[in-house]
Amino acid sequence: MPIATVFLWAFAEQWYYPALLPTDWGLRYWHTTLARADVLSALRLSLALSVTVTLLSAVICLPAAYAFARMEFVGRRTFMMSFLAINAFPRFGLIVMIATLFLSLRLVGTFWGIVLVQLLNTMLIMIWLPSAAFRGVDRRLEEAARDVGAGPIRTFVRITIPQAAPAIGAAMLLTFVSTFYETEGAWLVGAPKLRTMPMVMLQMITGQIVVQYGAVLSVLLWVPSFIALLFARRVLASNQFAKGFGA
Amino acid sequence: MASGKLPSTTAGIATSRRAWRATNRGAPALGRESAFARNLRGLLLIGPPLVVMASLLLYPAGVSIVRTFQETDADGSVSWTLARYHRFFTDPYSVANYLRTVWTTAVTLALLVAVCLPIAIYLHFTRSRLAAVVQALALFPMFVPGIIVAYALIRYIGPNGLMQTLLETIGLTFYKSPYLTPWGPVIGLVWDHMPLTLLILTAGMAKVSQEAIEAARDVGAGYITIFWRIILPLISDSLLVVVALNVISLFGSFVIPYMLGPASPEMMGPYMLRTFAEVREPDFAAAQAVVTFLTCSVFGILYVVMLTKRQDM
Repeated sequence: MPIATVFLWAFAEQWYYPALLPTDWGLRYWHTTLARADVLSALRLSLALSVTVTLLSAVICLPAAYAFARMEFVGRRTFMMSFLAINAFPRFGLIVMIATLFLSLRLVGTFWGIVLVQLLNTMLIMIWLPSAAFRGVDRRLEEAARDVGAGPIRTFVRITIPQAAPAIGAAMLLTFVSTFYETEGAWLVGAPKLRTMPMVMLQMITGQIVVQYGAVLSVLLWVPSFIALLFARRVLASNQFAKGFGA
Repeated sequence: MASGKLPSTTAGIATSRRAWRATNRGAPALGRESAFARNLRGLLLIGPPLVVMASLLLYPAGVSIVRTFQETDADGSVSWTLARYHRFFTDPYSVANYLRTVWTTAVTLALLVAVCLPIAIYLHFTRSRLAAVVQALALFPMFVPGIIVAYALIRYIGPNGLMQTLLETIGLTFYKSPYLTPWGPVIGLVWDHMPLTLLILTAGMAKVSQEAIEAARDVGAGYITIFWRIILPLISDSLLVVVALNVISLFGSFVIPYMLGPASPEMMGPYMLRTFAEVREPDFAAAQAVVTFLTCSVFGILYVVMLTKRQDM
């Protein structure tokens, strides 16, 4: 029901209490919302941030995920646990501490400052889900490929990657969407110089008389991510995802 | 699994060929690699995220904590002080914010367990279409970002919102909106934390076998006995994880308390942000963060202990 209310507001031109449904329907506010310069620049910034963080996180974390899943080395369990233990810290307190340090490093108010603080949030998912997927890859298929003459790289690209791909894709999707909506880090490290989409939304939801701005943005930004996440539904609703948090 | 279809003969040939290759060409099989090279390769691969974690988590946290005990005088000399913590615990506003956070966390956690535990038990024993619907509904908030949850709740449960309109349509006029009261964040946080809580409890319920329940029922155990004597002991680990994870996450929550909660007293999340960004006292904000760290540390340790008990990593 609350979500339905947002949709109703997004397509309402007029809705006075106590009418049960909007008294006037229309798309006028879609045009006015999208014409706002602050919305467009925040959208550009948020997309750039999310893409950068997701790719960076993948480059840094995927090899580690593979190592955790398939290799035996000293301290493997301890290191894996230390990544899961990120959850043992209150996130906002951590971000305040990072922001305090960034202040003296002159990273506050910079694009890369936000990237770094958001990167930390993504590491658990980016290591845990792909690692579980690499562990699930059928070794017999890999061996069979090696036996018919495929080299290690070819086997990895043709056999290992395709089998782990759905989980890696889901992890990247999840990272992208959660980074896009990340508010605390972007606010503490970015504001007031850099304003991401959630910050513009916050301002429109709490400080605007025009209710529709917030509604239009919510529908506009949420529907694509909702559809994207539906593809990752199986991974999200799996025990494997819950186990990443220690279930 | 696709591999299940692999004809056993092919697998057999494959294995023998592999053996042949290994002996005749001296292919570097894993077992031959020296332990040193193996360890080095593994550690190199996990190195980058470790560096990120050390430089973005351990180092900033360490430096910030030390700084909260330091005071720089006008002449640049540094002295040690507990002034910020003294200020926190003697300032009625800070204490009120802290207590509000404790209250919100406790109430939200109790509601989460009260709502999610019965659902998890129900989902474990039912395979009907209704169960699928319940599960989809309960997991739905995972697909909705916090900021949109907050907006949706403002429009729905807020004053003159759709809920009030609906109730008045059927003649009920008692409704008073929880928006901007202490209950606003509770409602939002329960909604927001429900999916993960449910997923962890459902994963825990996997340990409860149908046979055990049926055996207990055969010897005459009622629902309550079954719950206390069989289900609860089996899922106690999952419950502890749920409690630890939720306390840590609720205590430091920001977006939902910021948008749905009262301006004063406020929860620690909005308070820290205000101190850092608006009042511009980063060191006092860091001291507040240290207080939240210490408060949550018991649950953090509990969480890490639960992680070490796992065997499947």
